[in-house]
Amino acid sequence: MNHPQDNLTESLRRWRVTPPADPDFRPRVWQRIRIRARASWTGYLRAHSAAWSLAAVVVLGAAAYTGHVAADTRARADREALVVTYLVDLDPRVQAVLKPAAP
Amino acid sequence: MRHLLATIALLVAAAAATGLLCYRLSSDPGLHAAAVKGDAMQWLRDDFHLDDRQFAAIRELHNSYAGTCAEHCRMIQEATKARDTLAAARSGDPAALAEAGRKVEEMRAVCESAIAAHVRKVAALMSPADGRRYLALVLPKIADFDHTAAPDLRLNPPH
Repeated sequence: MNHPQDNLTESLRRWRVTPPADPDFRPRVWQRIRIRARASWTGYLRAHSAAWSLAAVVVLGAAAYTGHVAADTRARADREALVVTYLVDLDPRVQAVLKPAAP
Repeated sequence: MRHLLATIALLVAAAAATGLLCYRLSSDPGLHAAAVKGDAMQWLRDDFHLDDRQFAAIRELHNSYAGTCAEHCRMIQEATKARDTLAAARSGDPAALAEAGRKVEEMRAVCESAIAAHVRKVAALMSPADGRRYLALVLPKIADFDHTAAPDLRLNPPH
């Protein structure tokens, strides 16, 4: 008795795919590879100019602000230290603490 | 991917350069040098834009105040010592101790008034804007002194 499953298996075994050869396949692949390799950085930037411009504005603005704040913080700390140094020399109340008292 | 990484690297480098540039432009090297050296007079000269004449006058004023400062220092030390002696006595007289405490406070108040008057004289030798800025910096510190470091603070308390 011939089972339908056997027919299917036999059909699949005999089945051969013979696609028509595409003579341009390889050249086309290589052409695409060459195009990607040749794509310049400026071309990339031009293609993504909006995103990178926004990123540049945000990052450079944050960097400038951070630099300014860091300098301001240091100047404030320096000034604070200098005011204290200045008043230590000037304030008798500090001198009374720092100088040894007369016996 | 290569272009993405290169662009990120460029952006990071540009951000570092921008931050450094803004830091340099916003910082005050003279102020920092004076702070490192602890040179308050140099700070005064640079930060408050004193010319030679103003600087000499302020230096003179400080020198003349040094005697007053030393005298006030001595008076505070004596008053503090007298109060501490009374406080240390086992059978101390509370009234005398209170009086000695008042004397210390009085000396401190005299001292605070004197130093405030002195810095006002110094400010008067500066340009009006710099004088105001100078007073805004030093007067609060003078007023706050009692809260941050009492003059009778013992740096090496006896055990």
